[in-house]
Amino acid sequence: MEIEFANEAETLAQLLDQLDYFQVLKLELNATPPQIKEAFHRESRAYHPDRYNALPDSPLKANVNRIYKRVTEAYVILRDDLSRKKYLEDINGPDRASKLRFTPADEQEAREKRKKAQAEQIGTTVKGRQLYQQALKDLEQEKPEAAMRNLKMAQTFEPANQLFKDKLAELDAAARAAAKTKGHGQT
Amino acid sequence: MAELAMGIDLGTSYSAVALVIDGKPTVIPNEWGERTQASVVCFLGPSEVLVGNAAKRNIITHAENTVYSAKRLIGRYFFSEEVKKAQGVMPYRIVEGGNNAVRIEVPNGQYSLPEISAFVLREMKAVVEAYVGQPVIKAVITVPAYFNDNQRQATKDAGRIAGLDVLRIVNEPTAAALAYGFGRDLKQKVVIYDLGGGTFDVSILEIGDGVFEVLSTAGDTYLGGDDFDDRIMTWLADGFQQRTGLDLRQNRYCLQMLKEGAENAKIEVGRNGIAAINLPAICQDPDGKVLDLTESLDIDKFNGMVMDLVQRTFKVCDEALQSARMTPHDIDAVILVGGPTRLPIIRTSVQHYFQKEPVMGIDPDEVVSLGAAIQADALLQVGSRNTLLDVTPLTLRIGTVSGYTEKIIDKNTPIPIERGKAFTTSRDGQERVKIRVYQGEDNRAEGCELLGEFEFSGFRIGLRGEVKIEVTFEIDSNGIVNVSATDTETGQKTSTTLSLSSGLSEADIQAAAARNQATQLAGRAA
Repeated sequence: MEIEFANEAETLAQLLDQLDYFQVLKLELNATPPQIKEAFHRESRAYHPDRYNALPDSPLKANVNRIYKRVTEAYVILRDDLSRKKYLEDINGPDRASKLRFTPADEQEAREKRKKAQAEQIGTTVKGRQLYQQALKDLEQEKPEAAMRNLKMAQTFEPANQLFKDKLAELDAAARAAAKTKGHGQT
Repeated sequence: MAELAMGIDLGTSYSAVALVIDGKPTVIPNEWGERTQASVVCFLGPSEVLVGNAAKRNIITHAENTVYSAKRLIGRYFFSEEVKKAQGVMPYRIVEGGNNAVRIEVPNGQYSLPEISAFVLREMKAVVEAYVGQPVIKAVITVPAYFNDNQRQATKDAGRIAGLDVLRIVNEPTAAALAYGFGRDLKQKVVIYDLGGGTFDVSILEIGDGVFEVLSTAGDTYLGGDDFDDRIMTWLADGFQQRTGLDLRQNRYCLQMLKEGAENAKIEVGRNGIAAINLPAICQDPDGKVLDLTESLDIDKFNGMVMDLVQRTFKVCDEALQSARMTPHDIDAVILVGGPTRLPIIRTSVQHYFQKEPVMGIDPDEVVSLGAAIQADALLQVGSRNTLLDVTPLTLRIGTVSGYTEKIIDKNTPIPIERGKAFTTSRDGQERVKIRVYQGEDNRAEGCELLGEFEFSGFRIGLRGEVKIEVTFEIDSNGIVNVSATDTETGQKTSTTLSLSSGLSEADIQAAAARNQATQLAGRAA
């Protein structure tokens, strides 16, 4: 049993740099958060260095230390939705081989990406934000034409803003539907 | 007898030591049946120290050579706030050593903080050895969960100076959880509320199937039972000054009398709801008339004095819960640790906050040492039943340009762990790369604790931007940080030197260990 485990650890330690975090934790790519936690506990019970502390210094001990540090690393990245999302993109992309380990720089990038997405939620320019807020107010006061005007103006400042686009499309559809009903009433 | 390893709770005010004997965690009393020992060291002469409860009785009479509350200073820089504060209130002399380190000066010499703590640890070792009648050198030592790397490293050094083989530095609340869950098949989320003499920690753990996973930890290393004593002292001294015009705080002897009176009053008011304070002949007025101090402190008055301190602990609880993404409602059990948690105001406030009665039957003074002993015993065996998954309490950072920092490892990340970061040279022919490493939650370096400056050399020399080194930041199971680097292209390890650190060098530790061994513990066989 002990020899078997030592061999297993030896093989895993040698393979470690070719495995992604899902493979390290023996998980499918679509694993749920409870499954990730369970895997972390399971691998901890097998590889936590405390369990082998009493052994004299040996390849087994070194392998276990190396494996376990990768287990915690995998857990930390996969339990965080933001990091996990970016990591999945990375390992399914063309640079998979160099992206198996998620670095603090990758984390920073993921954070900045989210920040940008959040900023877009409310607009990235002062004018764009103001005009969007005004459009929302117009809608509250049931002035859809004014809202439409302001949104279009907002778009000139931020042509790529998805939020502005979506809202405009929504207003457009509502206006067309209204025109149709009106048309019905007349005939 | 089988091999033994002790668990030591090295406290600010009191320490305790425990062993697992025949599978049962047991606190080891000293020869007088005392189960906790004061963390006080009294220097009797050039090569003799008195440690423990007997030393504590000397604080008033041998104020200048009796050192207490060393844990408040261990691993801190001389310029830190805590050291400045201590200089104002401690009767012993606190001076500056090399590298911004702190030294304690007693009439027969200067000692580093790890050396002071080493005497306490050696006393604990002696207590164990007297009890079992055989040498025991392996030990687990506990520290507040919120201790940073400098403080952990200094505590580990103290163990080595005392002649101990330090198997592990374990967080106090984690040890308490281990003692709580030992031998029981629990599936619970628990909170450990640990208010010690000088520090406050909260840890939230999930226990199940033999795994003890710390989900989050938060703390305040400037808040403890001592602060409760200070409030009583201030009240007593202010009242006395109003009546007599004399400020007792100006005299170190009077100050110690006040401190002792305040500590006793705190315990008495907690136990009986009222405390009679009687400090006869505390000082003389300018005419030579001897004055007494008598006061009565009731529980309402006391609670009013310390309410804001109690509230501060719940800010820390908020933080821990938030990090664990929980509300008080999710908690299955609340465990109180540390002597001050005996106070009714703590018990009722905790119960109110968590909407749950704290677990009964746990001795708040002993539970940490019991947990440490359990972990020590587990580390002696291959494949123990329980697996402890702890976290790092503080964010690890590196210094960047103009006083800012960059995150490397987040707080509440499970340990051991390592993260890498690539650096490239910025000048042609560059021979060295320097990195400053910090711990803390501030983006700016000045708001964080400096762990040290690492300098890497011995990599290839090349044009600017051409040479790449991969720096690995590791936090080990003790919560201690290790930094190393390799030349990315050659895979060769570079040499690393550490400067700007408050810690002891290997040579310092060896010399300190020799001096420690040459010093006799009073009342014990050489």
